Amino acid sequence: MIASTETGPALELIGLTKRFGRTLGVDRLSLTIPRGSVFGLLGPNGAGKSTTIRMLMGMLAPTDGQARVLGIDVAADPVEVKQRVGYVPETHHIYRWMRVGEVLGFCKSCFRKWNDQTCRELVELFGLDLEKKVKHLSKGTQVKLALLLAVAHEPELLLLDEPLSGLDPIAREEFLDGVLRTICERGQTVLISSHMLDDVRRLADTVGFLYEGRLLLQDNLDTLLASTKRISATLGDGCRPTQAPDGTIWQRIEGREWIVTLRDFTPEKLGQIQATQGVEHASVIDLGLEELFKDLIRGQRVAS
Amino acid sequence: MQIDPHSHVPIYLQIADGVRAAVAAGVYRPGDALPSLRAMAIQAHVNPNTVQRAYDELEREGLIYCRRGRGLFVAEQGLASAQSVTGNGVRRALEDAIRAGQTAGMSANEVRQLFTSALQRVTQARSKQP
Repeated sequence: MIASTETGPALELIGLTKRFGRTLGVDRLSLTIPRGSVFGLLGPNGAGKSTTIRMLMGMLAPTDGQARVLGIDVAADPVEVKQRVGYVPETHHIYRWMRVGEVLGFCKSCFRKWNDQTCRELVELFGLDLEKKVKHLSKGTQVKLALLLAVAHEPELLLLDEPLSGLDPIAREEFLDGVLRTICERGQTVLISSHMLDDVRRLADTVGFLYEGRLLLQDNLDTLLASTKRISATLGDGCRPTQAPDGTIWQRIEGREWIVTLRDFTPEKLGQIQATQGVEHASVIDLGLEELFKDLIRGQRVAS
Repeated sequence: MQIDPHSHVPIYLQIADGVRAAVAAGVYRPGDALPSLRAMAIQAHVNPNTVQRAYDELEREGLIYCRRGRGLFVAEQGLASAQSVTGNGVRRALEDAIRAGQTAGMSANEVRQLFTSALQRVTQARSKQP
């Protein structure tokens, strides 16, 4: 039964919804992530990223819809999901009273699979002291230990929930090295939610933007950045254009400058802006991931 | 290998540019091995698939070649290839600068004067280096 699921997508969400009282934490989220992909889940605080990941781990029951992880219906078999998925939660609660070596032994006994060599390599890479108690480790070292525990049982999918926040640059780099090693060695499928857009840019091949529980867009990262542009147009006196081209995600007029951020940019769209009444000239500006992220959110705030 | 994650330039192109620059500067010479996918991914802190894409691009343009089971090596014509592609990049950068000047309303002569003085300044600064 397990073998038959190994070719399907790593993750398949079908109308996944979570309601907390009157608020929708996650709103009809549909998403498919193929095996071998590194997916960056982006969105402002409270967008529903952690809620989504916790539903994927079977730690939170969806109000509606379904999550299939490695072909398994999470609601039907959450234990099997935990065996086959590695998870680094936002706030981890590794047995604080145990020594690092004891935690490793305990976790090894919980999983069907355990790779001692990976474990040794990461202990060395992260400079973990097996004799130290978990509660005496720095925050950065605890997160690295959490990553070790998440990958040593050779998961088919690695879920990283905002793992990098609050880490110093060195700890962040070591953590990312650990993730990169498993990607290099095993073609690891990864879903990472993060605000650290630079790090997501380095790791991810695909990104999705969540906002108020809804998936605003999902695309290959290079394609998205290549096809999203900001156009800066200079306006004649008293001119207030109202019509922006299709695919506008955000626009603003400030004094004589009209700024339009566009998806699926084409020269025709630039032509359309240049031909708008009152526009003197317009030029195209390339966008980085961070600017794109901000413009998407600004556009949503204006719309709501 | 320096990667700028803020840049809009795809990371695989940044890696390809970095390798070309290293070949043009003689860091890697014809016949030298390039870092493996894994080594480059970890060194540059990027996804190995991205490195693969960069290496594919460099192989297509003849800068590097693959020896099965042995890895990737700089081709004999690698240096010439790196210089010609780097030349394309320089041309693009100059064109961008000219367009920026024109948008600001500069004449061709003003742009030419700026270019000449910038060239002088950079050349002088370089010749003063030990």
